[in-house]
Amino acid sequence: MTEPRNPSMSSIPQTGPAHTDSPAVEMDPVEYTLRKRLPRKLPKRRNDVYVNMKTDFRAQLARCQKLLEGGGHREICVHGLGLAINRAINIALQLQASSQGALQLAANTSTVELVDDLEPEDPDEAGEPMTRTRNNSAIHIKVFYPDAQ
Amino acid sequence: MSAAKVKMREKKMRNQPASVQYPSSSSNVESSTQNGADAPGTGENADPLKGGLSEVHPSTERKKKTPHQSGWVRGHHKDGGGYTKEMPKYITAGAFARARAAEVSAMLKAVRKTTSSSHVFEALPKHMRRRAMSHNTKRLPHRLREVANRMREKSLQAGSKKKKEPAKSKSRKARRRHGNLLLEFNRRQRKNIWLETHIWHAKRFHMVKKWGYCLGDRPTYKCYRACYRAMSSHCLLQDLSYYCCIELQGDEDKLVAALSQLTSKEAGPTFAAALCLSGRRQGSVMVYRAGRYPSQPLGPVTFLWRPRTQGSMHRQLWIWAHPTLKQDLLPELQTVCQCCEAVIPPAAPVEVNPTLEADSEPENTPEAKPVPGTKRKRSRKDATGPPAKKILGDGTRLPSTPVSWRSSSNGIVINDLTMEIVRYRLIGPQSHSVLVDTLEAATGCDEVQKSQTCSLWWPQHCSDEAKMTLHQQQADIFNILKGIYSTAELPSGTVLGLTVDDPRLTLPRKRVKALPCVKQAQEVDEEKRRKLMLEGVPEPCCQSFIWEQSVRDNVTDNKISEQELNRMRSEVLVPGSRLSPTPLQGRVPILLVHQPGKQVGHEMSSWGAGWDLLLPKGWGMAFWIPLVYRGVRIGGLNMSLKHSQNKAAPHFPRDYPDCPAGMCFQEEQEAELLDKFKRHPPAKRTNYIKHGCVAPFRCPWQQLAEEWEIIVQEGGSQAQITAQADAVTEERTSQQAISITKPLSRFTVLRNRKALRLLSAWCRPTTSKGQRPCRVGELPPISCEAVTSFLSAHAMSLVWVHVSLLSKGKPEYHAMLCVPTPEDLKALGNRQGTGGPQEPPHRDHFKSRIKRRKKDPKKAATSSVTPDKPDGKEAELIFASDLDTNASKDPKSFSESSSDLILGLWPDPLPSVASHCSRVTVGWVTQGDFSMSAGCGEALGFVSVAGLLNTLLNQTSEHKGKLLLRNPTSLHYRFAKINIEV
Repeated sequence: MTEPRNPSMSSIPQTGPAHTDSPAVEMDPVEYTLRKRLPRKLPKRRNDVYVNMKTDFRAQLARCQKLLEGGGHREICVHGLGLAINRAINIALQLQASSQGALQLAANTSTVELVDDLEPEDPDEAGEPMTRTRNNSAIHIKVFYPDAQ
Repeated sequence: MSAAKVKMREKKMRNQPASVQYPSSSSNVESSTQNGADAPGTGENADPLKGGLSEVHPSTERKKKTPHQSGWVRGHHKDGGGYTKEMPKYITAGAFARARAAEVSAMLKAVRKTTSSSHVFEALPKHMRRRAMSHNTKRLPHRLREVANRMREKSLQAGSKKKKEPAKSKSRKARRRHGNLLLEFNRRQRKNIWLETHIWHAKRFHMVKKWGYCLGDRPTYKCYRACYRAMSSHCLLQDLSYYCCIELQGDEDKLVAALSQLTSKEAGPTFAAALCLSGRRQGSVMVYRAGRYPSQPLGPVTFLWRPRTQGSMHRQLWIWAHPTLKQDLLPELQTVCQCCEAVIPPAAPVEVNPTLEADSEPENTPEAKPVPGTKRKRSRKDATGPPAKKILGDGTRLPSTPVSWRSSSNGIVINDLTMEIVRYRLIGPQSHSVLVDTLEAATGCDEVQKSQTCSLWWPQHCSDEAKMTLHQQQADIFNILKGIYSTAELPSGTVLGLTVDDPRLTLPRKRVKALPCVKQAQEVDEEKRRKLMLEGVPEPCCQSFIWEQSVRDNVTDNKISEQELNRMRSEVLVPGSRLSPTPLQGRVPILLVHQPGKQVGHEMSSWGAGWDLLLPKGWGMAFWIPLVYRGVRIGGLNMSLKHSQNKAAPHFPRDYPDCPAGMCFQEEQEAELLDKFKRHPPAKRTNYIKHGCVAPFRCPWQQLAEEWEIIVQEGGSQAQITAQADAVTEERTSQQAISITKPLSRFTVLRNRKALRLLSAWCRPTTSKGQRPCRVGELPPISCEAVTSFLSAHAMSLVWVHVSLLSKGKPEYHAMLCVPTPEDLKALGNRQGTGGPQEPPHRDHFKSRIKRRKKDPKKAATSSVTPDKPDGKEAELIFASDLDTNASKDPKSFSESSSDLILGLWPDPLPSVASHCSRVTVGWVTQGDFSMSAGCGEALGFVSVAGLLNTLLNQTSEHKGKLLLRNPTSLHYRFAKINIEV
């Protein structure tokens, strides 16, 4: 947690409407308010880049380039969650293209568990707030200079 | 004016010798002899001069002797032709010389003598003056020192004559002696309550006296950004002990029934919300006067139920309220609970005295004074009287004031626990790691200790098996906290009860930053962690012994003193290691309450989440220092305002203009700002009239709501509004003037969830990228009928909005929120770069009036009320009423009117606030700043519901919810987007 700009780095899940995910839980949408919690955040190294949809694309690309060139890192990890997967891939490919083939990519995918809170809006106050988990896909791309040998 | 000049001249001429002036004289000889006689003492001095003088200036002397002039005359005169005639034939040398000598000596005297009250060093040229010369005469040149010393003594005497010299205070050493210091502190606490961390804060913070407390406002060092970073990435600590806790005890159904009168389900979950009632979550609720739901709000409170004990319906509830709210809330609670019998006899002495005696008890125990040197002093002190005791809790309350009320009919008991419980707030994603680092679940006691019978509470608990298993469960859950990475991962409002060891035992030697440990995190069972994240803390674990008065008192009484602890530390073999074995007194029941972060809006969600730490009183500093040693930042009142601003949450007294506390706050703020404004020289003040800002220091919400109500009733569109509003104002002012008794419906702040949700949907642009039209289909789209039906219910309402600027600009408080014209929006659509429209400068009609009054102070009283154009009727009425009142009132009315007319401010009554400027005003900002989390100016404010709906109806779908924002000191409008967040 050395970076002060933590919150903006976190990838924000921007997936489709939540109630389409789990048809098993039937609820009246008026009675509950959906409140998404932030995805779980892991302590991050200096060469981790979490891609989000709010920051300008060029700024994120520039950050990665700076890490690779000025920052002296041999490899960086670009993480993207949900809607940001696309952008993470885009960034990685752009990095590779601009390096004239010096960089290589290694992509991994994973599934991230996200938590939603459902708070009852019901005036009877009998309803218990519910918590649901849903899954979302994530991508982790390692962008690195291959070893000299 | 001339009188003053004359006075000044007199003062200057006071020391001038009178002999210089020649009275009109018929004959030269006479006058000269007179003059010669006047200055007999000058003899030798004048001698060498006289010859020269008479030779060099023969003509001037001649001129002076013109008989028809008295005194000196400069230059030639028209009738100067007369001289030759009167020229003396001869001059008596002796008399003449003597006269000249007198003149010269008088002149020298006048030159040497300093006039008026000037100091000695004023005689020095500027380059020789030094700082603090009047204070230290040694800085003066030697020749002036004596005079200066004399003058200084004189002035000192004069000063001592005026006010008596203060009694000689004790030496610093005596004053700083522990007992005396404590007495002094106790004396100073009598008026304003000190928090337990007061001394710590007073050394580091700008302290303010507010709400009967001494509170830290902001640190003396620069840390605004550092504190923001602490909140968003690490941890910020605040002392919130000034919040008042009110305890209610009674049967659950009776309590819920009584409290339901104070709240409404329309405004969100109430005291009876299922999860809160179980004691697993902290709830927050808006409290109204009993049965007066929409119209008379009191303020927001948070509440916490104690978890049920098996087979008992008896419940305990803590309501936490702001001190300004407490005075309104407590009587209201007493009425709804029918608790009017104050429980005086046992409560009063028990409340105050034991707390005083408590602290001294451990000191008096034999092991507490191992150093023999202190014995002498102690005995001496004992002889003079009881030693000073540290005040714990509320020092301002009289011992006889009741703190507990009982109802005879339904058995509910209300206890005022103000200052009985210490509350610290940790804000930030790492606050749990700070807590995990600082606190350690209490260690059990071994068999030997158990067998000992003593008054301490922990050994007794250790012998109870059920209590120990519960403690074990709580400790397990507390350890799971090591496995989470951010405080925001937990369900909001979670409560965890715990018993911990004295944190002073594990105090690190150096201040270190507490960070989550990845290794420890991986040790934590994944399954348990998941369960905690999803479900929160199970109900039994929310129980804590801090709820019990007896345990609290026991813990407070038996705290190990700092001195004792230091002695134990010195005996430890390895310096800095943990003290062991843990002394028996060092177990404290605490309660951890999770505070939700930002809950509204889509961005930065759960920013500023954290934990509240509740401690029994007396233990404040014992926990504060260890927390500070974990590298947290400390914030004051200022930071709590910024915290709520970034959370987009209203801040209590400031953003509740319809509550009594909010109104009070507004008045105070106005007085303060006006005072500040008046401290500037008039030429340097902002002329708010020219800026078209009607009320720069307050927000006339009532007037705004009324104006908009009338405008909407008459069905105003953009063009007509201005004309109408003028008419409205006149109507209104005349109404007010004629019959103030007419009951006016008060404005309210809209807090009905359903209505807010509807408004929120209407505010949102329907076709904007990145925003899904979520559930708009279920809500009726904005239309004339929908709006009219909405307004019929909430016409006099204000609504709380979150404003974010589209381009640059930093909103300030009391900035106006205005409606853009269609042309403005068109310009916005065409070129994004344009900053926004400009307000044409207004004319200040009052300036001339002020000038007139300055010239003619006699007439000021009447001229200041002379009607100007807009408020003609009103002023006439006032004038008439003034005439009616008797003459004795006159000076008063004069002072009033003079205070009314301040250059650059509109006098009362204000003109129409809605239509004063070229863009129609719908509301004001109550707090605003550059938001570091959003990277643009953000503000929070209120707009009139009627005005807002009227605007929204006329706006096209892509520009929905766009308003203009203008600071009071600027003529520039900025585009801003409003959001209503539910």
